[in-house]
Amino acid sequence: MSDVVEKTLSALPSLLSLDSQPGAGKLSSTSKLGNLIRGITELTSKHEEEKLIIKELASIKEQVASPNTTMRQMKEAMVRAIYCEMLGYQAPFSYIHAVKLAQQGSVLEKRVGYLAVSLFLNESDEFLLLLVNTVLKDLQSTSLMEVCMALTAVSQVFPRDMIPSVLPLVEEKLTHPKEIIRRKAVLALYKFYLIAPNQVQHIHSKFRKALCDKDPGVMTASLHIYLQLVKESPESYKDLTESFVTILRQVLAGKLPMDFNYHSVPAPWLQIQLLRILAHLGKEDQSTSEMMYDVLEESLRRAEMNHNITYAILYECVKSIYTVFPKAELLEKAAKCIGNFVQSPKINLKYLGLKALTYVVTQDANLALPHQMTIIECLDHSDIIIKRATLDLLFRITNAQNVAVIVEKMLAFLRLCTDEYCTVDLVGKVAELAEKYPFIKAKPGS
Amino acid sequence: MIKAILIFNNHGKPRLIRFYEYFAEDLQQQIIRETFHLVSKRDDNVCNFLEGGSLIGGSDYKLIYRHYATLYFVFCVDSSESELGILDLIQVFVETLDKCFENVCELDLIFHMDKVHYILQEVVMGGMVLETNMNEIVGQVELQNRMEKSEGGFSAAPARAVSAVKNMNLPEMPRNINIGDINIKVPTLSPF
Repeated sequence: MSDVVEKTLSALPSLLSLDSQPGAGKLSSTSKLGNLIRGITELTSKHEEEKLIIKELASIKEQVASPNTTMRQMKEAMVRAIYCEMLGYQAPFSYIHAVKLAQQGSVLEKRVGYLAVSLFLNESDEFLLLLVNTVLKDLQSTSLMEVCMALTAVSQVFPRDMIPSVLPLVEEKLTHPKEIIRRKAVLALYKFYLIAPNQVQHIHSKFRKALCDKDPGVMTASLHIYLQLVKESPESYKDLTESFVTILRQVLAGKLPMDFNYHSVPAPWLQIQLLRILAHLGKEDQSTSEMMYDVLEESLRRAEMNHNITYAILYECVKSIYTVFPKAELLEKAAKCIGNFVQSPKINLKYLGLKALTYVVTQDANLALPHQMTIIECLDHSDIIIKRATLDLLFRITNAQNVAVIVEKMLAFLRLCTDEYCTVDLVGKVAELAEKYPFIKAKPGS
Repeated sequence: MIKAILIFNNHGKPRLIRFYEYFAEDLQQQIIRETFHLVSKRDDNVCNFLEGGSLIGGSDYKLIYRHYATLYFVFCVDSSESELGILDLIQVFVETLDKCFENVCELDLIFHMDKVHYILQEVVMGGMVLETNMNEIVGQVELQNRMEKSEGGFSAAPARAVSAVKNMNLPEMPRNINIGDINIKVPTLSPF
């Protein structure tokens, strides 16, 4: 290319940056946000930072209140306000303008408005009522982006009392042709269920439809809901056991599209959800548990590779096996798995192994026996979290023979403990043990 | 459920804060400070999970964190989430940021905090995991970026002209054109 073209190309960007309104979303070097951030990073003391932010907030306040400010400038000011709030400085004067931005702005301005609203406001804020109409309008928009934004907004911050007004529109989205909209609608409804369960009672049949959705993404989203529902009342969902088992079987057999693979493991997060749901369903119920033994065994067998995510599946599998109605061979395999975790040099696995052991020794205290040496080593581990997990485990396997030693270890740990929650927890445990074994004499000096 | 996602640097300066449960502003700042305090004390070869603590809502929560160069990514979750699953989710999120920002660094998060929020919104919605596949997340983000470009309008035109010229392949001027026996020499054009 000739010199002239080269020179023009290099000159243009700096010519562009003289425009105070950043074009096409790029943060130009002279934008107000850029200046603010640069200003802050140059400062060394908190006091100076405070002064600068207070000045900045005054400038933002003036800008948002001025009738001459364009939506574009408002958008820019809002991002600065978000930044200040993140650092801990309140900008309450901008809240109403955030709502207005979501209401009146173009798609990009709306996006910032919705973001600001979800960060600034909470459910009980009055301004939120003004947002309801905007949400209603956007839910009916032909623009996918606007529908998505509205669904995200209702799941982040929405007044409880206004749920009935948006409910029909969100429900309608469950049958939208676009998969992403159906998925977001499912999660939005789940959020509604969590904050106002009686509003959402009548649509459980729609959840079932979502579970059978042709798109695995939507089905996965519905599992969030089912995990909660099954946890709350497993009896009502026993009829779905067969469906969950079938889904898991298909996932393990590789029936899902390749996109759902993560490091060659088919849909690991989905497997984890299913394993948890099955655990709740099979608890203390022999017939239901029998429906899932083979798929549990298959999961255990398949998750043999060495990646974090397969360990995650193994852990869930082991917990499920110990939660459902017991089956000897499965328990044996699971116990072996726990052993591998506890002995692992990988510290995250060791931690999970200890947690798993703590969970299973309530059923069978002997499971901890083969790992005694490792447990003792863990007591003196350099990582305080491992130490705590070990003490938790020991608490559950105390008997008349070892209680004195265990309490002594707990007291020694207490002396080093600085965390309030940890201290309270341990003191409670020690007190409980003292009550349980009142005649064991503590060693002198402890 | 995920209760909060915090990103801060090695000095505790917040880079992205997202709570999925309501906390008053000063409590939020306290949570950030205390989380930083807990997490910065940890070595690099200890486990990535922290639990207990009276901060966010009692005992049913854990902190799952990863340390990347100058940034800590902390996910505060309750017992319904899988620890290792969340650990990998953090990795997916960071890889997505890397793809969207091209070799992401702390500066990108500082100057484009709103963009990071939009990306996060495609991963976690209302405290629930929405998408775990990096390509899908990037796809959604690209859709939004394309909309940004078309919305740019007039002021985007010069920027687009610049990139158009840069991408244009000006053909090489042949020095000699051979047509059979006739050999015509092309005169050298003087520079502009």
